[in-house]
Amino acid sequence: MAASPVLELRGITKQFPGVLANDHIDLDLKRGEVHALLGENGAGKSTLMNILYGLYRPDEGEISVNGKPVTFSSAKDAIAQGIGMVHQHFMLIPVMTVAENIVLGAEPTGAGIMLDYGAARERVREIARTFGFQVDPDARVENITVGQQQRVEILKALYRRADILILDEPTAVLTPQEATELFGILRSLKAEGMSVIFISHKLNEVLDIADRISVLRRGKKIDTVPRAGVTEEGLARMMVGRDVLLRVEKPPASVGDPLLEIHDLHVLDDRDIAKVRGVSLQVRAGEILGIAGVDGNGQTELVEAVTGLRTSSSGTIAVAGKTMPRHAHSRAMLDAGTGHIPEDRQRRGLVLEFSLAENIALHDYCYPPDSEHGWLFPRRLIQHARRLIKDFDVRGGGPTTRAGALSGGNQQKVVVAREVDRNPKVLVAAQPTRGLDVGAIEYVHRRLVTERDEGRAILLVSLELEEILSLSDRILVMFEGQIVGEYPPTATEEELGLAMIGAGKEHAA
Amino acid sequence: MSTVELRERLADRAVAGPKQVAITGTFLGILAAWLALPPATVRTSTVPIVLGAIAIALGGYAALRDERRVGYGAVAAGIVGIPLGLLVQHSSVSHLDAAFAWGTLLAATLRYATPLTFAALGGMFSERSGVVNIGLEGMMLAGAFFGIWGADKSGSWIGGVAIAMLAGGVFGLVHAIFAIHLRADQIVGGTAINFLSLGLTGYLFIQVYGSNGTPSLSTGHWLTGESIPDVTISSGNNFFAQVFGQLNLMIWISFAVLVLSYLLMFRTSIGLRIRACGEHPRAADTVGIDVYKVRYVSVVVSGMLAAMGGAYLSVGFTHSFNENMTEGRGFIALAALIFGKWRPFGAFAAALLFGFSTALAYAIPPAYSDTASSVLRSSALFQALPYILTLIAVAGVIGRSIPPAADGRPYKRQ
Amino acid sequence: MSETPAEQPGAAPPPPDSEPPETFAARLSARYRIGGIVAPLITTVVAFLAGGIVVGATGHNPLSTYRAIFNGTGLNWLFPWVSGADRVDAAINLQQTLIQTTPLILTGLAVAFAFRCGMFNIGGQGQYLVGAYVAIFVGSSWAHLAGPAHVFLAVALAALAGAVWGGIAGFLKATTGAHEVISTIMLNWVAIWVGDYFFGLSGPFQGPDQFNPISNTVADSAKLPVFWGDPELQGLHVGIFIALGALVVFWVILNRTTIGYEVRAVGFNPSAAEYGGISVKKNYFRAMAISGMFAGCAGAMDILGWEFNLSTPAIHASSIGFIGVAVALLGRNTAIGTFLGALLFGALYVGTSTRQLDATVFDPQLASNLTLIIQGLVVLFVGADLLIIGIWQWRKRVRLRTRQPAG
Repeated sequence: MAASPVLELRGITKQFPGVLANDHIDLDLKRGEVHALLGENGAGKSTLMNILYGLYRPDEGEISVNGKPVTFSSAKDAIAQGIGMVHQHFMLIPVMTVAENIVLGAEPTGAGIMLDYGAARERVREIARTFGFQVDPDARVENITVGQQQRVEILKALYRRADILILDEPTAVLTPQEATELFGILRSLKAEGMSVIFISHKLNEVLDIADRISVLRRGKKIDTVPRAGVTEEGLARMMVGRDVLLRVEKPPASVGDPLLEIHDLHVLDDRDIAKVRGVSLQVRAGEILGIAGVDGNGQTELVEAVTGLRTSSSGTIAVAGKTMPRHAHSRAMLDAGTGHIPEDRQRRGLVLEFSLAENIALHDYCYPPDSEHGWLFPRRLIQHARRLIKDFDVRGGGPTTRAGALSGGNQQKVVVAREVDRNPKVLVAAQPTRGLDVGAIEYVHRRLVTERDEGRAILLVSLELEEILSLSDRILVMFEGQIVGEYPPTATEEELGLAMIGAGKEHAA
Repeated sequence: MSTVELRERLADRAVAGPKQVAITGTFLGILAAWLALPPATVRTSTVPIVLGAIAIALGGYAALRDERRVGYGAVAAGIVGIPLGLLVQHSSVSHLDAAFAWGTLLAATLRYATPLTFAALGGMFSERSGVVNIGLEGMMLAGAFFGIWGADKSGSWIGGVAIAMLAGGVFGLVHAIFAIHLRADQIVGGTAINFLSLGLTGYLFIQVYGSNGTPSLSTGHWLTGESIPDVTISSGNNFFAQVFGQLNLMIWISFAVLVLSYLLMFRTSIGLRIRACGEHPRAADTVGIDVYKVRYVSVVVSGMLAAMGGAYLSVGFTHSFNENMTEGRGFIALAALIFGKWRPFGAFAAALLFGFSTALAYAIPPAYSDTASSVLRSSALFQALPYILTLIAVAGVIGRSIPPAADGRPYKRQ
Repeated sequence: MSETPAEQPGAAPPPPDSEPPETFAARLSARYRIGGIVAPLITTVVAFLAGGIVVGATGHNPLSTYRAIFNGTGLNWLFPWVSGADRVDAAINLQQTLIQTTPLILTGLAVAFAFRCGMFNIGGQGQYLVGAYVAIFVGSSWAHLAGPAHVFLAVALAALAGAVWGGIAGFLKATTGAHEVISTIMLNWVAIWVGDYFFGLSGPFQGPDQFNPISNTVADSAKLPVFWGDPELQGLHVGIFIALGALVVFWVILNRTTIGYEVRAVGFNPSAAEYGGISVKKNYFRAMAISGMFAGCAGAMDILGWEFNLSTPAIHASSIGFIGVAVALLGRNTAIGTFLGALLFGALYVGTSTRQLDATVFDPQLASNLTLIIQGLVVLFVGADLLIIGIWQWRKRVRLRTRQPAG
């Protein structure tokens, strides 16, 4: 080998209660390469990187940097060895400025302990210039775009003179175009001699940027391969351990009357910023309408307005032909016939401390047979739950099991069971497969198609383009609170991607 | 930006915003009551009624335009301002002049505000680092007792204040251990600190001093060197001299602590790190800041500052100790902190406001001792005023306070 | 079947951003699953041990102190071997303990009910006081009413007053988001000073003795009947049954009604509750009002059962509502736990009072502060889940280790 690796991991093992997150993993990183770490959710990628960044301590194994063995007991040690990390959830403080965020923990000080804001600003500008970034050091982080926030994270590492950069799922929050820009930045960092570990579960990106690819599966490293000569299918097989179904089989839709009609809807968010700005759409019985868009373009507020969790500022929503009052609470929406699979099942969809029976009664606890005249009948709740647990094949517990004790996939089955069993006319599914493993994703997808064929109107909101493309009968793209275009399910990811950043406005159908 | 531009923008905002309308209304509502007081002592009932009515109208206008919070604030100011103004007009001018001697009233305001200032600044350190501190009351009480005890034993007020700070720091440390390492609920922990301090100071007070009480100037067991001295800068009779002429040293120290706290929190790297821990502890951790250490130090400092407030009460003000002598001041300090949006000068302004209402509670009853009104002869309802004001403040009538994002959330190191 | 690690319950590694469950109720519940009945027991034992250290460190004998306090509580009445004059004394003491237990059950429930809705009601004291004021007003003024009607009216209106006082905090939280901890603390002090004004010198409700700040005395028709002991010597009144009934009501509301379902859902996860069609704001208000009702009722029990009037020093010294916080926390916000917690603190309160504690053994003034210390320690430890869990796991590990050499 020409050059010794800048970073070497040998036999890294990390055990969490009940799971072996990393099982004797070996990995090496060469100077000036982009090394991709590929694996499903829960494969152990993040654990490994947290070990490398000094946030976890490994049970076994050793790390060496530039040939010297090192032990990290905190992030500080890793930083000292020139390792920088861009976390999936940015480690930025929204109310502080860009400069404050970058210098935090290694501040330039003037007289004694007084913080030298001028020097901080100057240093930030200087590094940004060196690597060709555009940032305003005085902007507050909460006011800049997600793509810019990511650049601030990279600057944070560069400010600390990192020469090894770890990026944890960096494209999850970006548009395809922003992702392309990021790749440009990574290539120029590479040219400067930086080494990059790029964590992802998206095959196409990995093939686009990586020099070498290591695949993790269930805590073990399967293999490390050079980019040349691998195919998407081959990588997918390595990742999952079997052939994956990339598309959902579904019969053509037989469409009926419109069940959900939204006209010129405007919605504000918690900070009174207009997030939905004049959305009109119709979802008809027996079709899945997909809404694509980058996170934060008003999808969440749209869903909340449709399900009565947020009051709209103007516009109308009609369910099954009946126009709902503007202040309709979630109760009124539920009674009118909407079901809702919320985007965050643990915060919204379930009361984790409740039993499955109590969770299944979450909408109808106040109606017979669950209760009469305010009296609750716990036994009837349990009977109802027992039936659904059987019908929907929920595993890991019975009616009196705490919802929090179930795995993510089974939790989602409980949510789906509850929503579908109420026989809603309109089903709103927001990010229905987020954080699920492949098996559970397949289940949810099949179920949504079944419900469509039962004649429900399904509004699907997802950040995953693949999911939108494979499930939807029609696709709307949302950008900055407006619908910027309608596409058939045969549209390409590139078309949608362009529309998602507002470039496809003229395409509106 | 040119001055023309600036003026245009200001004009834009002043004319257009319902919020500004509401603030004007609030101001008029206060004016409705204020004008009836000395030195103006307006005696015609139309003035408060008209001003109050305008306040209500402006508030209603703003509330209808989605500025509910400030709008209703203005309405409330009007509704309170009218009867208050009329009520004041019922009182004779001589009574009013006796109660509202502004010079002495403001000096008293500073005296009552000082313990609140210390404790509120203490609370700021704790909460800015992410640890809610409703144990301020207990830490203050500990400062009050150990201040007296320390002054008594060491024979000097400096020893008293030092021991008070040590005791407050220890209570802070206990709160910190439970809040940080044991990740206990911080409100429960603070409640416990309050009980514990109440019991411990009461126990030691009886144990050390029995039922006779602490040594005091009147019993002759108290040396003048054991009281925190006053600083005389003027003994004249003008307004300035009445307010600032003869203030206790601790009041001046509180001003210094106020400025230093501001500089430390917002102008140094230490402050930046404290605030980072209170906003996003994980982010601070990932850049190598020891979140636990920062929080420990902040909470201990918070206890020490609160104890200084308590020591001022006992060693500097009453020169004695009684069981539960802080009587909820720690909670008012907490409210001042929230009212002041977790900022030093904001908290100080709120402490002044609450201090003023206490000063009134003590100024009005003696001035009205010859009247038949039980309300004015008893100070009780005026004693309740700070709490009512705080209640109104936390209800967010005057702007909403947003706490540090991670305030009250235990942090788990990975 | 693809069984990835994430498919097994509890098998997923902690996500990088694992936050503790959102509400306090959820956190408490998480802890309760671990410690069982052991945690409150350890808490109590540790608190008494630490209290004993304070006693010992200040030159007193902890053992004889605790024994004297125990004898003052009358709990030795339960021992069959206590007989003769001791038994008579014990009965009188036990009556006092149960008299104190009565309001503590109710203020404990006031805290517990709000807890179950995810709120920390530190305002039990204020709610208790306004209940007491109304009980005095009704009990002393409408003397022409027949006994049962008078009692019922006084209790009902006192409970209503408490509900209003608690409801204010709930209303403010629901409408403006004001944190209930701050607003209930403020309402406590407002209640105290309003009472000081009402019954103070020349106050509007001061009693006939114009030189003392004491209220009117409750008429005989409004007094709760004594069923155990001598009414002249402050025997045990029927209020204890009202308190026990309240425990049942508390349990039934929470577990057998839709109101209770809503309260628990909001307490565990307000955003899921809202998603379920439950109005979170309505529940904040309702739960605080119900909480206040319990506390207001506690005020009525004390006034109509044994105090019969209030002085302003008594108002300032009262701490029944604050002890309710410790009662509820120790009792884990359950009905049975609240009962046991109330009995413990009622006994401590009585055992350390000037009337019951043998002053030659330990100064009652010290002892009443010792009660506060123990109370503080209980609250301190009860909030520290990790400490309790740590002790619990350490115990298990020790057991494992001792078993290993044998096997």
